[in-house]
Amino acid sequence: MQPLTLGRLFARCAVLGVVLLLVTLVALKLGAVPVSLYGLGRDLIRVAMGKSSELASEYRLIVFDIRLPRILLGIFVGASLSVAGASFQALLRNPLADPYVLGVSSGAALGAIFALIAAPHLGVAPAVAALFTPLGAFLGAATTIAAVYFLGRRQGAIDSGTLLLAGIISASFLSALIMLLMTTLPSSNVRGMAFWLMGDLSTPPPRSLQWFLGVVFFVAAGAIYTTAADLNLLLAGEQEAIHLGVDLGRVRLVVYIAASVLTGLAVSVSGAIGYVGLLVPHAIRLLFGGDYRVLLPTTALGGAIAVVIADTLARTVVAPTELSVGAVTAMAGAPFFIYLLRRRLT
Amino acid sequence: MAPWILVGLFVIGPWREIVMFRGRARCVRAAGAAMAGTLLLAAAADAQVPLQRPGQQRPWADRNPDIGTGQATSLAHAQPAPAAFAEITDETGRHVRIPQPVRRIVSLAPSLTETLYALGAQDRLVGDTDYCDYPPEAQKKPKVGGAINPNLEQIAALRPDLVLMTKSLNRYETVRALDDLHIPSYATDPHTVDDIISSTARLAEVLGIGEAGQALAQELRQRLTEIEGRVGELPRRRVLFVVWSDPLISVGRNTFIADALRRARAISVIDTAQDWPQVSLEEVVHLQPEALIFAATHPQAEARDFAALAQRPGWRDLEAVRKSRFVVITDAVNRPAPRLISAIEELARQLHPEAFSERPRTSPAAPPGLESRTADRDSRASWGACACSR
Amino acid sequence: MSATAARFPATDVRLSVEQVSYAYAANPSQAPLFTLEATSFQARPGEIVAILGPNASGKSTLLKLISGALAPLSGRVLLNGFPTHSLDPRARARRIAVVQQESRLLFPARVWEFVLQRRHPYSRGLAFESEEDVLIAKNALAQVGAVALNDRWLDQISGGEKQRVILARALAQQPLLLLLDEPTLHLDIGAQVDLLEALQRLARQNRYTVVVVTHELNLAGGYSDQVVLLHRGKSLRVGPPASVYQRELLEQVFQTALTVEMGGSGRPRVSILSDS
Repeated sequence: MQPLTLGRLFARCAVLGVVLLLVTLVALKLGAVPVSLYGLGRDLIRVAMGKSSELASEYRLIVFDIRLPRILLGIFVGASLSVAGASFQALLRNPLADPYVLGVSSGAALGAIFALIAAPHLGVAPAVAALFTPLGAFLGAATTIAAVYFLGRRQGAIDSGTLLLAGIISASFLSALIMLLMTTLPSSNVRGMAFWLMGDLSTPPPRSLQWFLGVVFFVAAGAIYTTAADLNLLLAGEQEAIHLGVDLGRVRLVVYIAASVLTGLAVSVSGAIGYVGLLVPHAIRLLFGGDYRVLLPTTALGGAIAVVIADTLARTVVAPTELSVGAVTAMAGAPFFIYLLRRRLT
Repeated sequence: MAPWILVGLFVIGPWREIVMFRGRARCVRAAGAAMAGTLLLAAAADAQVPLQRPGQQRPWADRNPDIGTGQATSLAHAQPAPAAFAEITDETGRHVRIPQPVRRIVSLAPSLTETLYALGAQDRLVGDTDYCDYPPEAQKKPKVGGAINPNLEQIAALRPDLVLMTKSLNRYETVRALDDLHIPSYATDPHTVDDIISSTARLAEVLGIGEAGQALAQELRQRLTEIEGRVGELPRRRVLFVVWSDPLISVGRNTFIADALRRARAISVIDTAQDWPQVSLEEVVHLQPEALIFAATHPQAEARDFAALAQRPGWRDLEAVRKSRFVVITDAVNRPAPRLISAIEELARQLHPEAFSERPRTSPAAPPGLESRTADRDSRASWGACACSR
Repeated sequence: MSATAARFPATDVRLSVEQVSYAYAANPSQAPLFTLEATSFQARPGEIVAILGPNASGKSTLLKLISGALAPLSGRVLLNGFPTHSLDPRARARRIAVVQQESRLLFPARVWEFVLQRRHPYSRGLAFESEEDVLIAKNALAQVGAVALNDRWLDQISGGEKQRVILARALAQQPLLLLLDEPTLHLDIGAQVDLLEALQRLARQNRYTVVVVTHELNLAGGYSDQVVLLHRGKSLRVGPPASVYQRELLEQVFQTALTVEMGGSGRPRVSILSDS
C-alpha cells in the first residue's frame, strides 16, 4: 500500500523529468547538421554560465535558435495533447478517447483555417490577428467535442461505441470540409496547410504567440488538475461521483473547456498530431497507475517526451527532407489503438 | 527570449503544485506566484542571452569550423563579412535588408534555381531543394529538403546571405521562421510571362549582376516578339492544359501558364479564378478543346501514357483524343523561369506548324491536323546557348 | 405514524422517512410513467432495514429518495432531523454512503486505492489523503476481513471479495447511514450469507443505520430488523420480518406459490413451491 504523497508524486515527475532532459539533449545533438556531443555540452555550460556571447554563431543559430525552440514547441504540444487526451478519457468515460480519434483535432484545424482565412479581412493589427488562429482552433475543438458528446449519448448515458462512432463521423465530416476549403480557395496560404494538417513542428509560432501559449497551457492544465480527484471518482461511475459530493456539472464544464483550449492551442501551432493523447496516458497508467493526481502531471511530461522523440525521428530519418511528425506518431499510435480496442473486446 | 519563458514555465510549474497541495494557498495566489517566478526567470534569461535584434549584423566572419558540412566550412574563411546592406522591397511587399554583395544563396524553388543558372550565378548557389533538377548540375548542390518543408537547420548551416523563395510554392511560415533567425529572404511572385522576365531582371539587380539580367531579359523579350510576329495573327487554338490527368487538373486564368498559352496563340478552355482547378471530364467533353497539352520531362513516356489514357471512358469521347491532337512539351512550362520562353516557342511551333514552315502562310482558317510529336530538343539547346553567353 | 415509530423515543431515531412519494414522467406535461406512493418508516442506529419487492416495485427509487439524490414529490426524508435532499453534497457524502449496483471500472486500480477514494468527502482542497485517511481505509478493510486483498488489482479478485471491498469502501466514508442497492446480486449463496452477516455485525458494532434493497426474501427475512414491502410503487407493509412475512401477502406480491415457516430465532423462512 503506497498512498500518494507529495514526495511520491515528485519522485515520479522527477524520473520523467530526467528522461525528458536526456531526450532533449539527444534531440539537440541530432539533426541534419552534425553537432558533437562535446561541443554541445561545452556550449550548454557556457549558456548556463551566462557567457552565451562566446558561442560560435552556428551553434547559437542551429542549436539554440532552430533546434531548441522546436524541441520546446514539441514539449508544449506533447504535454497539451496528452493532458487533453487523459481529460477526454475521464470526461467521456471512454478509454479510447483522444483528441484525434474523437475528431476534436479536425475541428480545431477547421477553426484555425477559418481564422486564417478571416484574419486578413478584419483589418486588425498583426499581433491581434496572430491570436485568431488559436482562438479559432479552440472554438472548433469546443464545438466538435460538444457535438460528439451529444451524438454519443444513448438514452441519457454515454455509450462507448456510439461515442467513438460519433467521433469518427465528425472527424471525416470535418476533414471533408477542410478538403472543400483547401480545393476551392485560391489563397496560397491554404496550400501549405496540407502539410500542416499532418502535424508539423518545423515552424515555431511567432514569438509574440509563444508567451501566450505557455501561460494558457499552465492555466488550462492547472484548471484540469484542480478536478483530478473528482475525475478519479467520475471514472468509478457517474452516480458514485455524485453520491460522493462531486459537483459533476462544474467538473465537466471546467474539464471540457480546458481540454478544448489545450487541443485548440496544440493544433493551432502544430496541426493534427494524432494518437499522442491516447498512447501516452495509457502508457503512464501502466507505469504509475491511474490516479489522475499523478497521471496528469506525469502524462504531460510523458507526452512531451513522446513528441520530442517523434519529431527528432521525423527530422533525422530522411534528413535533410523532413517527415511529418504526425506520420511518425500515427505509425506508432494506430497499432497501439488497435491493441487497446482488442484488449477491451476480449 | 520566448523559449526561455517556456523553460521557465516548466521549471516553475511543479512549485505551483506544491503550494496547491499543501492546501494553504488559494489557486489564484499560487498561479500568481508561478507567473511572478516565470517573469523573474524570463528576465534573468533575457539578461543572460543577448538578443539579436532585426537588422543586427551577424558575425559571419566568426565561424566555428567544427560545425556544418565540409564544403560549406571550406569557404568560410575565404569570404569577408559583407559590409554593405541594401534595403529593398521584394515582390510580396516585404521590406528586406540584403547584404551586398550577395555571395551565398539558397534557392527554395526549382524555378529560382533555374533562373540563377540562366543568370550565370550558379557559383553563388550553395543549396537548393530536392526538386531542383534543372540544369542537371543543380542536382549536385547541397539539398535543404522540399520547397514546402525545407530543413531550417540545413539552411542555416549553409550560412546563406540570401534565401530565395517564390510565393506560389513556398510557405509563409518559412519566411517567418527565417526572419526569426535573421536570415534575409527574398520572395518573387510572378503571375505572367512579362512578370517572369521582369522578376528575373530584378533578381539580377538584387544579386548585383544587373547587366546580365538586362541582357537576359532583352533576349527573352526578343524571342517573344519573334513568336508574336509568327503566330500573332493566327486564330487562337482552344486547348486543355493537363497539369495532372487523374484527377484532371488544369490551369486557371491567372496563372503564368495560361499567359504562356496566350503567347503561343492558344487559349485554355478552362477559365477559372482558381489557379489549379480540378476539372470534371464531363465539362471537358462539353467544351471539346481542339488539342490537349501535356508537359513532361520525358515526352516519349508521356506519349505512351497518353495512348493508355485515350482508351479510357470520357477521354475517348474527346474530339482531340480521337484525332490524336495532343501536344507534349517540355515541363519547363511548369516553372516560372526563363526556360518558359523556350516552352512557349515549342508550343507555338506545335500548335501552329504552318507559321514556322519557311513557306509563306496560306489560308489561316484551314485547321491543319495536329500530330503527336516528341519535344523539340532544339529549344533546350538554344536555352543552353543563352546561358553560356553570360 | 407507523407502529414501529411509536416504540422508540424520537431522539433515538436516526433515519425518518415520512410520507415520501415520487413520480417519474417523460416530461412534466405528461402523466407520470411510474409513481411511488407515500411511504413511511423509521430506523435507529444499528438497525438494518430491508426494502423488499419484485422488480419495478420502486425499491431503487425509494433508495434514491433516502440518499437525497432525488427530491421527494411530497413528504420528507430526515437524517438526524435534517432533510437529506437539501444537505450540501459534500456534507451529505460524509453522512450517507451509497453502494450502487456494480459499476464497471474503466481502468484497473488496486484495492487500497479504490477504498481510499471514498475519503474524498473529507479532503481539503487539493491535499492528498493524510495518514489518518490511510488508517481509516485500512481499518475499513480489516472490518470486512479483506486486509489480505490490500495490494491486489480490483479486476483480479473474486465476486465475493470484490463485494467486501466495495463494502469496505463505503465504510471508509465513516457514514451514519449505509445504503446498499442489491448488494448480493451477482454473488453465490455462500458469499451472500457472508456479506449479510458482515453487514449485520458492522451495523451492531459501529451503530450504522443500514438500508438494503433486495428481492431475496430469505436474506431480508434472516438479517433485517425491519422490512418495507413494496409492490408496484406502494408500500404494502412495514415492520419486523415476522409481521410482514405472511404467505398470502408474499404470494400476491411475488406471484408465486410459497410457504412461510417461523424459525427458532423468530425469523421467518420462505420456501418456493416449485411444482404447483
